[in-house]
Amino acid sequence: MNTATWQHLFGWRTAFDHPVTVWIVTGILLALLVAPLLIHGLFRFKLIPPEQRTELLLRWKSWLWLTAAMVGPILLGAGWVMIAVAVLSWLCFHEFARATGLFREYSIMAVVMLGIFALLFANLDHYDRMFFSLAALTGGVIAVIALPENRSQGYLQRVSLGIAGFLLFGYSFGYLGLMASDARYRPLLLLVLASVELNDIFAYCTGRLFGRRKLLSNISPGKTLAGALGALVLTTGLVFVLGKSIFAGTTMEDDFSLLKLGLLISLLGQLGDLILSAIKRDIGIKDLGVCIAGHGGWLDRFDSLVLVPAAVYHFLSYHLGPLGQDQAARIFTGGGL
Amino acid sequence: MIRWQYSSAHDLGLEANQRYCSPHRENDLTQNLMRLGWLASIRLVFKFWNRLEIHGWENVPVKPPFVITANHSSHLDALVLASALSLRWRDQISPLAAGDYFFSSKSRAGFSATILNALPIWRQRQRGQRHELGDLRDRLREQSAIYIVFPEGRRSRDGGLHEFKPGFATLVAGTTIPVLPCHLSGSFAALPPDKSVVRPRKILLQIGTPLTFEIVTNHAEGWRQICAVIREKTVALQAGGPSIAKSRHNDWRDKLLLTFRFARLLLHRRLRSLAALPNFR
Repeated sequence: MNTATWQHLFGWRTAFDHPVTVWIVTGILLALLVAPLLIHGLFRFKLIPPEQRTELLLRWKSWLWLTAAMVGPILLGAGWVMIAVAVLSWLCFHEFARATGLFREYSIMAVVMLGIFALLFANLDHYDRMFFSLAALTGGVIAVIALPENRSQGYLQRVSLGIAGFLLFGYSFGYLGLMASDARYRPLLLLVLASVELNDIFAYCTGRLFGRRKLLSNISPGKTLAGALGALVLTTGLVFVLGKSIFAGTTMEDDFSLLKLGLLISLLGQLGDLILSAIKRDIGIKDLGVCIAGHGGWLDRFDSLVLVPAAVYHFLSYHLGPLGQDQAARIFTGGGL
Repeated sequence: MIRWQYSSAHDLGLEANQRYCSPHRENDLTQNLMRLGWLASIRLVFKFWNRLEIHGWENVPVKPPFVITANHSSHLDALVLASALSLRWRDQISPLAAGDYFFSSKSRAGFSATILNALPIWRQRQRGQRHELGDLRDRLREQSAIYIVFPEGRRSRDGGLHEFKPGFATLVAGTTIPVLPCHLSGSFAALPPDKSVVRPRKILLQIGTPLTFEIVTNHAEGWRQICAVIREKTVALQAGGPSIAKSRHNDWRDKLLLTFRFARLLLHRRLRSLAALPNFR
C-alpha cells in the first residue's frame, strides 16, 4: 500500500481541505450548540410543555453521540467510513432480524454477517466488481444455506427475509463505503447524510405547518402530502447550493443535474422512510429497537438512508464516470491503478 | 395470499438492562459466537491450569432440558459446570445467579447475560415484585434449557456443604425434567471468596445419576422433599468420590503464579519508588 492510498484510507490531516466539509461540520456544530438554548427558550416562553422539553433534550443528547459516530469516521479517513458502514449495516440488519424472527435462523444470519464482511473487504480493497457481485452471490448462498436443515415449511419466508434484509441494510448501506473510494468522499458523504437527515426534519416541519392531506394513511398516518412536497423543495435547494461547490469544474456542475440529484435524494429518502414504516406496520410494532434514546432503534433513525446511497452512487457515476476511478484499485488483492 | 407469520424476539422493545434481567431474553448469533469463544477458552484454562477431572460424564442426559445442582464455594463453580457440558448446548446453559450481585450494574449485567447466559434470582424481593421462578420454570420447558443451580443460595465461606434452600425445587417438581446432582471439590482452594486470582489447584467434578420428581407435588412440602433427596445425593457424592490429592505446590503452574506475583511486587515497588521522586509529585 503506497502513501497516497494509506492517506486516503486513514489520513485525517486533510479532513478540512474542502470548503463544503468545513461548512457542513460548522453548521452541524452550530445546530448542536443552539438546539438546547432554543429548547430552553421555547419552554421559558411556555411554547412547549415540560414533557416535550424533556423529550427534545433527550433527542438532542442522542444527536450528540450520533453526530460524532457519523461525522467522526468521515473526518478520520475513508477506511474508518467503510468500517463504520459495515458496523451500521450489521446493527440495522440485526434489528430487522429480531423484529421479524429471522434472528433464530443462525445459518442465514451467519451468511449475512459474512456478506457484510465481504462488502467491507471489497470496499477496503477498492474492488468494485467484487462489491457488485455480492448482491447475487450472497442471495444465492442464503437460498442454499437454508436447504440442509431439511425444513420446507417457511423456507421462502426465511430466505426472502434474509435476502431482503441483506439488500436493504447490508448492500445498500455498503454503497456509502463504495462512495468513500472517491477523492471527494468527505464533502460528498456529508452532503448525503446531512441532506437525508434534514429531509426528515423538513418534512416534519412543513407537514406540521401546512399538512392537511395524508400521504399514505395505512402505512404512515403521520406523513402528509405538504410535508413530502416541502421536503422535496427544501432538500433539493440544499443539495443544489452545496453541490455547486462540491462538483465545481465537473459535468455535474450544471443546474439541471444538481436539481435531479436533489430530487433523487429527497424522494428516495422519503420512500426509504415509508418502506420501513410499511415493514413495522406489517410486523405490528411501533419501533424496531430502543437503543437510541428518544429516537427508537438504529433503523428508526437511519430508515431514510436505505435507498439513497445506491442511487446517488450510480447517478454520479453515470455523470462523472465511476466514482473512485482515480484511486488505487484492488489494494490487497493486487491490480495497481 | 396468506399473511406471513412473524415471531419477533420476546424481549423486543426492552432496554438493554431490562433485557439482560428478563427471563424472556433470547439469544442471537453474536452471543452464540462469543459464548463459543468464552467456553472453549475457560475449558482450556480449567484443563491446563486446574487439571479439571470429570467423573460420571455418562450420567449427563442425551438432550436438554435438565437441571444441574451442585455445592457452591467459589465463583468458579458455575464456570466449571458450564464448561464441562457439550459446547453445542452453549445457548441453553444458564446459571441461575444472584441478581443483587451479577446484575447489580449495567456492565456486570451485560457480561452475565451476554457471555455467561446467566438468569437472575432476586434474593431480596421488592414489594409487589413477581417471583421469577415461575417464569424460569416455563422457560426451562419451552426453551429446552439447562439450568445450573446452587441450592445453598450463596457461596460457602468455609468450603463446606451447607443447608439447601428448597425454593429451587419448584423448577422441577411434578415434571419429568431430570435433576443432575453434582459435587465440586477443589474450586474453593482454587478461588476462595476472598481471593481474585485463580490458583492452580486441582478441581474435581462428580456428576451423579439423574433424578426425576414427576410424582412430587409443586408445593412447599414437595420442595422440601426434593431438596432433602438432592442434598443427600450431593453428600453421598462428596463422601464416595475420589479425593483430591494435595497439590504438589512445586509444579510449573505454581512456579508461573509465583513468578507473576514476584514481578507484580517488583513493579509495584518500582512504581512506588518512582512516585517518591520529587519530579513525579
